[in-house]
Amino acid sequence: MFKEGMMALVGVAFWESIYMTLISTFFAYLIGLPLGLILVMTDGEGVRPMPIVHQTLGIIINIVRSVPFLILFVTIMPFTKLAVGTTIGPKAAIVGLLVAAAPFIARLVESSLKEVEKGVIEAAQSMGASPLQILVKVLIPEAKPSLLVGSAIAVTTILGYSAMAGFLGGGGLGAIAINYGVHRGQRDIMYVMVVLLVIIVQVLQEFGMQIAKRTDKRL
Amino acid sequence: MDIFLKLGKRKGGKDMEKKEIMIHLEGISKSFPQKRGSLEVLKEIDLQIEKGEVFGIIGMSGAGKSTLVRCINLLERPTKGRVYLDGAELTCLPEKELRQQRHSMGMIFQQFHLLMQRTALENVCFPLEISGVPKEMARARAEELLDLVGLGERLGAYPSQLSGGQKQRVAIARALATEPKVLLCDEATSALDPNTTAGVLRLLKDINERLGITIVVITHEMSVIQEICNRVAIIDDGQIAEMGGVEEIFRAPKTQPGRELVYHEGARREALEGPMENCYRVVFRGGISGDPILGGMMVECNAVANILSGNTRMLDGRVYGQMMIQLPEDKEMREKMLAYLREREVEVEEVHYV
Repeated sequence: MFKEGMMALVGVAFWESIYMTLISTFFAYLIGLPLGLILVMTDGEGVRPMPIVHQTLGIIINIVRSVPFLILFVTIMPFTKLAVGTTIGPKAAIVGLLVAAAPFIARLVESSLKEVEKGVIEAAQSMGASPLQILVKVLIPEAKPSLLVGSAIAVTTILGYSAMAGFLGGGGLGAIAINYGVHRGQRDIMYVMVVLLVIIVQVLQEFGMQIAKRTDKRL
Repeated sequence: MDIFLKLGKRKGGKDMEKKEIMIHLEGISKSFPQKRGSLEVLKEIDLQIEKGEVFGIIGMSGAGKSTLVRCINLLERPTKGRVYLDGAELTCLPEKELRQQRHSMGMIFQQFHLLMQRTALENVCFPLEISGVPKEMARARAEELLDLVGLGERLGAYPSQLSGGQKQRVAIARALATEPKVLLCDEATSALDPNTTAGVLRLLKDINERLGITIVVITHEMSVIQEICNRVAIIDDGQIAEMGGVEEIFRAPKTQPGRELVYHEGARREALEGPMENCYRVVFRGGISGDPILGGMMVECNAVANILSGNTRMLDGRVYGQMMIQLPEDKEMREKMLAYLREREVEVEEVHYV
């Protein structure tokens, strides 16, 4: 089933997928993490209530999240071109992925931080902690295990998106599955790609959960 | 640096010259906006808590006591009124200076509220980190404090590895880290079993006596007040129903909320049983609790009294017994029995609800 050169192709695609996923997760967190923190801090019940900021940000996040990934990807192509100089290949895919993933990550971060008991925050306030101190010394450390679980979810979701990016010339395992499996009818190659994706998801998910579990002191 | 040597120089609770005011609440009102109108939780509360005393605030749930204690360190901003700490007004301070002032007010909670991802030691270091104490110094102080609360061996334990009582001890150590003038306790023992409660209360009393810290205790349990408080305010429906020395209020509560708390720990029994006739509350003081006064009365008068309830409490090291009895309907007989009791220096008071 695998003609010569196919193995090499799959090898390159495999690393492309990993590379796209990890790089875009990293950048998506650079944007999504602060957004999530702002959401929690500015909440009406938060440490620094700012209803207008909270609502505006929430609406923007919801809008971006509700646009289907492929449409979002196409819509931002002019921006992608501007940012990385091309609209195809892994580099272009990374831009699309991080724009799609950042708002999702903001919501993941928000829900993790909201798990921190209100009373603990109140206790910190009673000791004279400032909002910034509460964020850095209470919210983030206390939510760390949950944030790590969230990042495992984020990374596997982004891997799924990256396979879809294959439709638009994004490269990676998804591109091979589509080009050979769908367009040329070589189903066996498609199955192999899907199995590879499944394995990567399993490994990343398990790895993330293990780290989260190890760092959690609540037993 | 030994902080306790330094703190030790502050005078202990009992030998303090009285009337120096530590906390002064002036016309405190607090209302929470509701869907329609607003809910008034506190109404014009005036309160002065003296330096070095253990002051109790008791009330049934919903009476507003938790809101009141949060108005002291301004976790809740009162809608009206002023708060003074050691003579300085807090209510007029900007956020930043208020945070500074909070270093001199420790607080502990019913659910402890420890940082779950930090060890006991790191938890106690936390308020010191916040106030900018260098790491080494903070650590040394935290070790000392955990030793004081009897957890010197469990420095590295995480809260999830500690029992409820131990968690509250860590919380107490944490609250004391910044050498506060005041310790606010919000239902600090309500989540603990009776034995553990007794231990934690002893610790609080000890801290009050050794370090001279003013303690404010919020509770719904009369037993907690009796155990450690000097004075008590009874809060009912957002107002102070009654205030005074613990002994005085226990012996003769003047108001309905006071009676409910003292007679039967706040159970609203009249709702079930309605007013009752010919009922009396008898309080035995000190040593005479040992004498069979009631038995003597029944033999002497050749009539029986119906004993409705009874208990014994310790107040400031003295034994008090209280009993609810119902006397016969015959007025002459009743007078005779009451005279017998009054001769024996027990306090008798007619009550309509038992």
